Amino acid sequence: MEKNPDKGYIALLGWSLNAIEAAENFDRRYLVVAPEWAEEYCQKHDIPYVPWNFERLNDRSMEIAETLQERGVDVAIPLFEETVEWAGAINSVLLDNPRLYGQSLLLRDKALMKRRAQLGGIRVGIFEEAHDKGDVIRFLKRVNQTLLKLDGDPNDPIHLKAFDKAGCLGHRVIRTPDEVDTIPDEEFPVLMESHLDGWEFAVEAWIHNGKIAFLNISEYVTLGYSVFVPASPELEQYRPQITAQIEKLIKAFDIDFGLIHPEYFVTSDGEMYFGEVAYRPPGFKVFELLERVYGFNAYQASMLVFDPKTTPDEVKAFFPREVEDAKCYAGCFGVYPRRRVVSRLEIPEEVEDDPYFESHELTPPMEETVTKRTAFGTHWGLIYFKGEDPNRLRDMLKHQEELDFYV
Amino acid sequence: MATNRDMQDTGQFPPSDDKLQGLLVHLDEATALLGEARDFAKPGKLSRVLDTARRVLLQPGGAAALENRARALEEAGVFLGSDWATPQYLLPYLTTYSLKSADANTVVIEALSELRLLAVAKGDYPHSLVSAEQAHHYLTQVMALNLWLLFSAPSEAERETQGRLAQIPRHLFRHLAERIGYEHIIDKLIEEIWRILQQRPIQVESVKQMITQIAICHADPNIDLGASGQGADRLVSSLFGPTRASREDPGIEIYRERLSSMDNSALQGEATGFARAMHDTGLVSPYHPVLLRHLLDHGDHLLAEALGLSSTGRDCLLCYRELARALIRGAVHPATPQAVYGLTLTLERGILYQPPVAPAMWRQLGLSLSEWSQQRLILAFGDAVSPRARLLEGVLCMLGLPLGVGQGNNPTCQSARALSMWAYNDPDYLLQMVAWAARDDEIIMHFEGMPLSSMASLSGVAQTLPMDLDPVSLIVVPHLDRIYAEMGRRCIGREGDPHRWVNPEFHGWWAGRGFRINVDVATGQLHELDAFLRHFYASYHPYYNGNQPLIHPQPAGIAVTDSAARFIGWHAITILRVSLDPSDVMRVYFFNPNNDSGQDWGDGVQVSTAGNAERFGEASLPFEQFASRLYIFHYDPLERGELARISQEELDRVTQYIHRSWGADRIPPADLQADAGPQPQDY
Repeated sequence: MEKNPDKGYIALLGWSLNAIEAAENFDRRYLVVAPEWAEEYCQKHDIPYVPWNFERLNDRSMEIAETLQERGVDVAIPLFEETVEWAGAINSVLLDNPRLYGQSLLLRDKALMKRRAQLGGIRVGIFEEAHDKGDVIRFLKRVNQTLLKLDGDPNDPIHLKAFDKAGCLGHRVIRTPDEVDTIPDEEFPVLMESHLDGWEFAVEAWIHNGKIAFLNISEYVTLGYSVFVPASPELEQYRPQITAQIEKLIKAFDIDFGLIHPEYFVTSDGEMYFGEVAYRPPGFKVFELLERVYGFNAYQASMLVFDPKTTPDEVKAFFPREVEDAKCYAGCFGVYPRRRVVSRLEIPEEVEDDPYFESHELTPPMEETVTKRTAFGTHWGLIYFKGEDPNRLRDMLKHQEELDFYV
Repeated sequence: MATNRDMQDTGQFPPSDDKLQGLLVHLDEATALLGEARDFAKPGKLSRVLDTARRVLLQPGGAAALENRARALEEAGVFLGSDWATPQYLLPYLTTYSLKSADANTVVIEALSELRLLAVAKGDYPHSLVSAEQAHHYLTQVMALNLWLLFSAPSEAERETQGRLAQIPRHLFRHLAERIGYEHIIDKLIEEIWRILQQRPIQVESVKQMITQIAICHADPNIDLGASGQGADRLVSSLFGPTRASREDPGIEIYRERLSSMDNSALQGEATGFARAMHDTGLVSPYHPVLLRHLLDHGDHLLAEALGLSSTGRDCLLCYRELARALIRGAVHPATPQAVYGLTLTLERGILYQPPVAPAMWRQLGLSLSEWSQQRLILAFGDAVSPRARLLEGVLCMLGLPLGVGQGNNPTCQSARALSMWAYNDPDYLLQMVAWAARDDEIIMHFEGMPLSSMASLSGVAQTLPMDLDPVSLIVVPHLDRIYAEMGRRCIGREGDPHRWVNPEFHGWWAGRGFRINVDVATGQLHELDAFLRHFYASYHPYYNGNQPLIHPQPAGIAVTDSAARFIGWHAITILRVSLDPSDVMRVYFFNPNNDSGQDWGDGVQVSTAGNAERFGEASLPFEQFASRLYIFHYDPLERGELARISQEELDRVTQYIHRSWGADRIPPADLQADAGPQPQDY
């Protein structure tokens, strides 16, 4: 697409073909910052590219910021959890705003993030850092004492998460002290949280000039398995409260622009609990679902709100009206093989023949033995559904958990 | 997003047609996304198109809907970067593999390509690369080759590998047949069958299946064949009712009863009928063995009639009366009818007059097969007759039809070539090999004085044991393949091409020890092309070798090219003879162990199998064209012809053929520049 020289020049941090394609089809100039293995591909396909290895920040970190500045880049957009603090560091140079780096570190550490939220008057569960297994056992006992459980009552579980990993990576649920032994030592330190019984959901909010430009609620059917957008009317009824929560979050973290992706629980009494927040595109292809539902490209939306040269009118014209403009409900389900030994991919006929089934991204199995899942693990591919009725869609997504796709 | 809102809003899809409509909305969306995507992003969008197309193809009317969308799909880039992007080079016979693939995407993209060509053939889609006539021709060939898809339910094997996918080729072909018309397929198929039969292959099972399909098609009142399919009569009758008493395909038992009440002249009529059908087609009806066994109790005259023997064959039959009768008793059963044809041609060749052959046949008759050999034969051919009878049928067929040997779908062209060469040139040696392999499970050959055992050699060229072979090849090829590979291993480290040493040691003393190759093994570049060609002409061309006909069959290597003259691979063949054809063109007649020799090698090089004085099983090309695909030949170093007399003009023509085909990217830099340090190309 014809690039507009009056608009910003954007650096995409990390390798995502969908993001590159979106950038190609958008009027902003762009370049990709990715490890050296991408070079050949970029040359072949004429994709503007700067090589960089995103290891831990070190004393060479200034170099990439200066390179981008010399190229005339205006802003950097993180595409993955691992590039969030890089974007913070680079943008603090490009936008001459040192605060951005500190902000990105807050958004990268789950323990710091919870404290900051708490300070901002946002409700969070009980949480603590654990440095070894002893800490975990102690926390499990304390939480259940607090809940007035007697000896022999089943424990409420606690959740363990790595400080700095995306989504469900490294997420474990612990119910008994025995289970603590299964945690490898190298996973420590971790963040421990009490379990909140409630309805879990996520939000994708595009923020421009400190205000919400578009707010999507993604409804989880089962955490780690399935999600759909827009949320069902039952969840959407909380939209005013959710919007208020997001505004608190923007204030607490002092976010002026960008895309945030927080997770919440809403308990049966309508109380919102903050889970965590990420400053990057969500996993589980929610971007793709949004495009199916609303027709706008969520990567382009991010480029728009990150670009310092974007005008408020442009933002207003870009986004559709939330929920009202949705053409349908779209959801996806992450497939995990259920058997220990699998030989081939076989989409169940009942799934394939359902009018709500749209497409899948599953590939034939690479090996026959299925590695046992520790923690939440990674799914083998997504299947997409879409249709008119959110309840039917939710039931379908739920039902997928009982089906074998790999036999 | 190009969503059809009306379709989205209905929400509930009633079955069948509305389901198809719903899927088509999905497909059009996916196609639009693919079409809009940049080239680098297309691979990521393709699978959604293919998967949706797969579901469309499973619906009634799905194929028609895709035919209508063929242009949009191709323009969106469905075929981009694959062989299907250049439909002018597609080979019909490859569809038999892709349509049977277990990989859904392969099946679907093949189906989409066929439907695209259908749209082209119907004139609905003017295509820049193929004309409507080409597309039509291609489709009729594809359908003729895959006729089983029209008439048969998925086999057990297909169900196992393809599951529901097996329905897609069937839906596709029903649609193709309706649009193109059955009459085109049947006529094409009949032509194709005759073309294959003219090469007189040993394995005729697939031909028999095709003929059976045609017979079914004829009998089905729902299929309107119009005026076509008339040429099928001879084919169908040769299998199911070649004679007066078998005309209506009465069944073996009834036919046997009828024979018992026949007088001599009736028997004579039956004998002549069978013999004519067999010699016309190369196919033998299961009724034929019934007659032959019946005639064992009658005179030699009727037996000779039933085999349709010439005076040569008749002499041989009378001379080896007991052996011939023993062979009929041992090998000729309704389940092994081709043994009749094998026996007939063995007698006609007169090879029983070679002193070791008749005693070797007696050994074969009484040979006890190893457990392993028996199991292999039963696994491949079933247990309708004993493994020994099955092998005997195979031996008779190979001796009778040395040029009917095929390598199946296996990379074992050298072994197939060796078997054919021995059957042709050294039949008692072949019988020795069969005895060793079938009885002892071991063959020992010598390489430069060192014994090589097929038991001791670990691996051959083929990774798995081949199964799709004639009985003799089934038993012997695994041994030969291992020995051949072992000989190659013994040559590791020697400079140059190993065939120089392996070919004479492997095939026989008559393979010339002189050796020429026109490719530099290290770089893959053409090497001393001019001298190579001069030498080939001087050794093989009667005008330059003192009009000396080729004495022994010689192994040679060719660079096989596809119909676009692009290099496919190296292949082993046998040069059989060189002589003038009926139109006074000097031709090379050769044996290609590939199952069908009639191939289009591109740039006008069309291998002929009939019509240019070929004998059964021979392939032929004009001398120049043959030389242009040759890369290895053997010669007798003591019999050199006259290199000097070959005109440069003639060699230039051959060189141009090479440069236009497999040699295109192998042309070395001119000698003068060679010092400048030429870049070696990838090999």
